[in-house]
Order: sequence, then structure tokens, then C-alpha cells
Amino acid sequence: MILSYLTSLFFTQTWAKTSTSDLSWWQVMAPPEDISVNGHLIDWLFYYTTGMNIFFFVLVCAGLFGFSFLYYHKRHPKPYYTYGNKKIHVIIATAIGLAVFLAVDMNITRISNNDYTDVFANFPNENEEEVLRVQVMAQQWMWNFRYAGADGVFNTEDDVITMNDLRLPINKKIVFQIVSKDVIHSFFLPNARQKVDAIPGRLTRMWVELVKPGNYPIVCAEMCGTFHYRMQAYLTVYNEADFADWMNEAERNAVKENELENADLYWGWKWEL
Amino acid sequence: MAFFEQHIHDEPKTFLSKYIISYDHKVIGKQFLWYGIFFLGVGGMMALMIRWALAYPGVAFPVIGKFIFPATQGVIPPDTYAMLFSMHGTIMIFYAITPILIGAFGNFCIPLLIGARDMVFPTANMLSFWFAVVSGLILLISLFTPLGAAAGGWTSYPTLSTMVGSPGIGQTLWCLALFVLGISSTMGAVNYITTIITLRAPGMGYFDMPLTIWGLWLTAILNAIFLPVLGAGLLLLIFDRVFGTTFFLAGAAATSGTGDPVLFQHVFWIFGHPEVYILILPAWGIVSDLLSFFARKPAFGAKATALAMTSVTVLSTLVYGHHMFTTQMSPLLTQTFMTLTMTISIPSAIFFANWLGTIWKGSIQFTSPMLFSLGVVFVFGLGGLTGLYLGTVTTDLYLHDTYFVVGHFHYTMAASVLLGGFAGTYFWMPKMFGTMMNEFWAKVHFWITMIGLNGVFMGMMIVGFAGMHRRIYNPFVYEFLERLIPLNMFITWSAILMGFAQIIFVINFVHAVFFRKEKASANPWKVGTLEWTIPSPAPHYNFKEIPVVKCGPHEFGNPALVGRDYQYQTEEVAKA
Repeated sequence: MILSYLTSLFFTQTWAKTSTSDLSWWQVMAPPEDISVNGHLIDWLFYYTTGMNIFFFVLVCAGLFGFSFLYYHKRHPKPYYTYGNKKIHVIIATAIGLAVFLAVDMNITRISNNDYTDVFANFPNENEEEVLRVQVMAQQWMWNFRYAGADGVFNTEDDVITMNDLRLPINKKIVFQIVSKDVIHSFFLPNARQKVDAIPGRLTRMWVELVKPGNYPIVCAEMCGTFHYRMQAYLTVYNEADFADWMNEAERNAVKENELENADLYWGWKWEL
Repeated sequence: MAFFEQHIHDEPKTFLSKYIISYDHKVIGKQFLWYGIFFLGVGGMMALMIRWALAYPGVAFPVIGKFIFPATQGVIPPDTYAMLFSMHGTIMIFYAITPILIGAFGNFCIPLLIGARDMVFPTANMLSFWFAVVSGLILLISLFTPLGAAAGGWTSYPTLSTMVGSPGIGQTLWCLALFVLGISSTMGAVNYITTIITLRAPGMGYFDMPLTIWGLWLTAILNAIFLPVLGAGLLLLIFDRVFGTTFFLAGAAATSGTGDPVLFQHVFWIFGHPEVYILILPAWGIVSDLLSFFARKPAFGAKATALAMTSVTVLSTLVYGHHMFTTQMSPLLTQTFMTLTMTISIPSAIFFANWLGTIWKGSIQFTSPMLFSLGVVFVFGLGGLTGLYLGTVTTDLYLHDTYFVVGHFHYTMAASVLLGGFAGTYFWMPKMFGTMMNEFWAKVHFWITMIGLNGVFMGMMIVGFAGMHRRIYNPFVYEFLERLIPLNMFITWSAILMGFAQIIFVINFVHAVFFRKEKASANPWKVGTLEWTIPSPAPHYNFKEIPVVKCGPHEFGNPALVGRDYQYQTEEVAKA
């Protein structure tokens, strides 16, 4: 009776919630929309690994359930007496091991390694191409962002500084340098599929290129204290023209409004190439 | 093989010497079992509170919430939530699974299965349990300190776990508790290794040992090597907290020091990655044996299974870097750690082939230990395969610190290990307590647990892939996670279902231990390893005569046998 009460509670509550949203189960389960140039590499590798996993797990289940059915003791009273050390047994076990290793593991390792060295850890050469530079300082429990301002030099009076509000353009490579003020945080852009830890005493880097304007979340992925769950920032992605407008205005306001005497203004650092 | 005479002393007579300060490995094993079950209950209750907060944020925890959190009318506050998940992880790993799988089965099984009268160092064995009790008390006391228990996650990364992030004494007590537990486990590990090497019955070569013993042996080796590493790290953390050193504090705006917080992560994961194998190896061993016992067929490729477990043990020490990909490693290191991590799948695939080979053409009896063992094969399959996503660096950039990781490690460390532990408990129950547990309720327990745990952990992986990150009190302050409310409710109700199933187990267990009248026979499962050659429950000093081993542990279904389908290890292999 208790069980039926609980199930009814569960079903009414769950289903009531679902019916209010018109998302299908597939849409619920899908990751957030990919807005980056390279996020698809990660998604593709995920789905590829999933395909391989399903194949091998179906094999395991076929063995597990198939043998359980076929060799139930009433159906199959006389077991086959073998230690599994005949040549053919050893060959089959080794072949399965190698098949998994070569077909799945080495394959995804190769793909992932190529993606990492060629794309995600391959930072744009800032001497040759123009990138947007952003300094990020994490602290309990907010994100500070700093743009170089009109003079292009960090940690000067005209820097554009925002709190929990990151605005980026599309079609331009963006390089972040990230530090933490107090404890370890993790700068996570779910829509770009990337994160990197913000560590006190270290400078970490991340680069992205975005393609789709809109509003997206920025979250802290590393446990950083009681209000870890509230350490949310907002990412606004503009097209090139809108970003230029916003940036121009922000730079003008920075010159007007920054309190030059306030030491807290100068948390930035010299951009490290 | 025994290197020295094993003397028989008189049986202890008083309650204190028999059940409390006992030097008898069987009693110590049972003490660890009760200890583990107690903490399993505590950790499980914490899990339900965590799940409740995630499905119904801001709603009072039902029934007992008002008594535990009176200040908020039963709603779990965010700082308490952080304590709950930190303590849940710590308790489950170090105070529930370790005592049950390693403390209870290690102590109980090792001498019995290798034909010894006791451990080599009974005093260290007794101290090992009482150190664990001291450690458990320190941990529980930390819950009642002014700023509460440790709240930095079970990994307790500095600088959050230094004074910068956790000023309360709870975090110091947490370090101290784990340090003391490390002493306890190291003593146990040294004892296990020595016992297995020196006290095997005459005639028992290493490959004549049951695979359970192989698993426990390899676990003990990892424990003996790596727990001191954790101890060192914790000691440095205690120094940072109490004496003002700066091993893990780096110069930053709000902190000063010349250390490095990432250093702790290295120390922690050098221990931490072997730790997951420390937990799973005994379960692998138990499962490898039980599949053979209940398929009534020799373990398929038993030698290969033992060697594969050994190679996993070696590899597990070389892969810890995959926990730290997001601290931005050099691609050279990610490459190395990724490749080494993936290499583990070769021995893992060999076990799976051997497990399936064992039940292939067997004559399978679906007893409760067998069901739980088959369950381990299923959930460990899922847990192992989902590890691939986290071993490859690019997918880890997205999945790291999301619920996908939580689901993955619960499949491997919680689901597989718990099911393996239940399999062992149901199986050795007659030898431990002299009674059998009720088979019907054991099977009900199995099926409900199976449904519940797959609902919970599969659900966690789905919400993790959908973007929900870990250790957040209320996921739904994020607009993009609001669509996951129904899924989170589903996970919570699955967890509650799984929790209820454990009540069935506890009732069944307590009833069998204290109230069951009918005694189990000496060999109810018709299995030939050494512990089944003596009466149930195992008598004082186990073996009147030290047995002489003449065949392997998995002699089933030999066509030359007449009358029964199994052979004791003390008999020559029957020849036609």
C-alpha cells in the first residue's frame, strides 16, 4: 500500500512536470546546444564511443542473458568440464581483449589525442592572428572578467571590467587566461563543451571560437564552498557589429567610471604570451 | 607451505575477550561486517537526503527532516548539503565498502580459504579493527563540531580544505580520521599479504588459491603501498591547517604561500586511482569464484583471470593523471595517461570473456549469491565502458565534474562493489554465523536493488551528459537545467526504492544471525574450497588438522566423479 502511494506520488509529480514542458525525452537528454566551432568534435567522439560501447555491451548482455537462459541447470544438467585453457579458448579470450583494445580504445585515444593537440590545446598564435583576450578571475562565488580596454594593455585604468557578465563576439578566436583568488574553481562553458580549472597561484588558459549569438550559462564546475551552486555567470554572444557597439560603449564608460584610486581595480596581470 | 607451527590456544571465555577485544580473525571479520553495515546505513541515509535536495529543492525532508534540521523546518540548508555529500563519499568509500569487502571478507576468508588457523599477526588484526573504530568515532564526532563536518567533497582539494575555505575543526578531524583509518588499513594489509604468502596450506600453490584470495591479496598490496601516500598528503594538509605551513597554499589575491594546491591532487590521486581498484578487486575475485561455483563448472581461464587482475593492479598505479585533465596538463602527459588508462581495457576484457566463458555450457543454479554475481557482471560492464568517455581527454573536458562522472564511479565503485559484497555475505553466511539467509527475500532484495540502482546511476549519467554539474545544492537555479527536474525526481525515487530494498536485507540478515533456529549444514552450497570441509559455523581455530591441498578450488562437473559433482581441494582430481 505504501509502495502504491509512493508510485502514485512519483508518477503524478513527474508526469505533471513533463506535460508542462513540450520537450521530448531525447531533447531533455541531449546536451546543451553547441555554439562553438569545435564542440562538435567532442560530441562526435561521445557518440562514436557510445556506438562502440553499445555494440560491446550488447555482446556482454547476449552472453549473460543468453547463457543464463540456455544453461539453466534444469535445461542443461550436465556442465561441460573444461578449464578454458585449450588453445582455442585462449585465442578467443585474447582476440576479444585485443578487439576491444584496438577497435575502441586505441581508436578513440588517437582521435581524442589528435583533437586535443591540434585543436583544444593548440592555442592561436597571438602574434600572427588577431584574437580577443579576456582575463578571468574566479572567486567565492562569482566570476570577474577583464578586457584590455582601448589601449590594449591589461591592468591599466581603462580596462573594461565586468562581474558575472561575459560578452563575446562570434567568428573570432577568444583566448582566456584564468586565475583564482581563493579556492579552486572551474570555468565551464557547457555550450562550448569546455572547462578548465581556475587555480590559485597558477594561470590556466582556454580558447574558444563561437558561432551563434544568444544568451548562455557559465558555471563553476569545481566544488568551491557552500554557494558553489550559485556561482553562475551569464554569457552573451553578439554578432560582430553588435559586439563592436557594446565594446565601444563599455570602453567609453570604463574611462569615465573606473575609480582610479581604488586598488581593487587592478586585479589583472600582464598578459602572458 | 606453512612456515611455522600454528598453535592452538584455549577458546576465550568472557564476553569481552570473545566478542570485543578478540584476536580471532572470524570475530574480527564479523566486527568489520557490522561496522560496515552500520556506516552503510549512515551513508545511505545521507545519500537519500542529497537526492531529496536535488529533486525537491526547498521542500522539507520527509518524516525525520524536522528533527534533524529544526532551524529550517526540515529543509536541508546549503552548507549542510555540502557536508552531506562530502561525508557520504567519505563514509561509503572508507567506512562502508572498505570494512565490508576488505575488513570483513579479508579477515574472514583469507585464513579459511587458504587452510590457516588464523592470521599471522592476530594482535595487529585486533588493533586494525579498533583503530577503525577510533577513526569512525572521530568522523562521527566531527558532525557535531561548531562549524560542522568537512564540506569540501570527499576529495577535499586544497585550498578549499585549508583554512582559506574551511575554517571549522571538522575538516581537521576529517583528515585525522582518515589518517587513523590509514593506519588501520595498512596494518590489515600487511597482515593479509604475509598471511597469504606464509600460511597457505601445504600443497596450495598461488594458482590453487581461490580467486577471492587473489583479489584480496592484490588489494592488500595496493593498500600497503598507497595508503601511506594518502597519509602523507593528509598529514601535510593537517600541518597547513594547524601549524600554518603552506604546502598547498599558493600566492594569490586572497591566499599567500609558496606551495601548490595541485600538489595535493597529485598525492591524492596517486592513492585515489589505485583506491578504486582496492575496492573492486575483492569483488572481482568473489564474483570469479561464485560464477564457477554456481555454474558447476571450473572457472574458465582461472590463471588468466588471476594474471589479468595482477596486470590491472600494476596498471592502476600508472594512470592517475586522468583525474586531473582539467587542471590543464601538457598534451604530452594527457597522451601518456590516456594511453595507459585505455590499456586497462585489455585485462578487463579478458575477465569479461572468462566470466562469460565460465557460465558458458555450465549448469547454472540461480541462488542468491549467483544472482548478485551476475548482477556484478552487468553493472561492471556498464561502469567499465562508461569510463572510456572519461579516459579520453576531449570528452573529459565536457564531462569532468558533471553527474556523468558521478554515475560512472557509482556503477563501478558502489553498484559493483555492493553487489559483490552482498554476494559474498549471502554466500559465506552459513560459515560465518551458522545459518542461512532466506533465499526468497534475498532474491527480492536482488531484483529491487538492481532496478533501483540502475535507475539511479543510469539517470545520473543522463543528467550529467545533459550538462548538470556535480555538488550543486539546487541545480534549478540554472535555467538550462530546469528541463532535468523530472529526471532528477526519477533518480530520487529510484534511490528511495533502492533504500527500501536494503531494509529487506537488514531484516533478513538480523533474523538469520539472531533468530533462525535451523542450523546450516557444513557445506550447503556443495562447493569444494577449504572452508567447506569444516563444520558451520567455522570452529575455534578453524582446522583441527591443517589440510593438505591436492587440487584447485574450482573442481566441478568432472565426468570421472561418482555421486557428487564437486571435489574438495583436499582430494586428488578424479581420473576416469
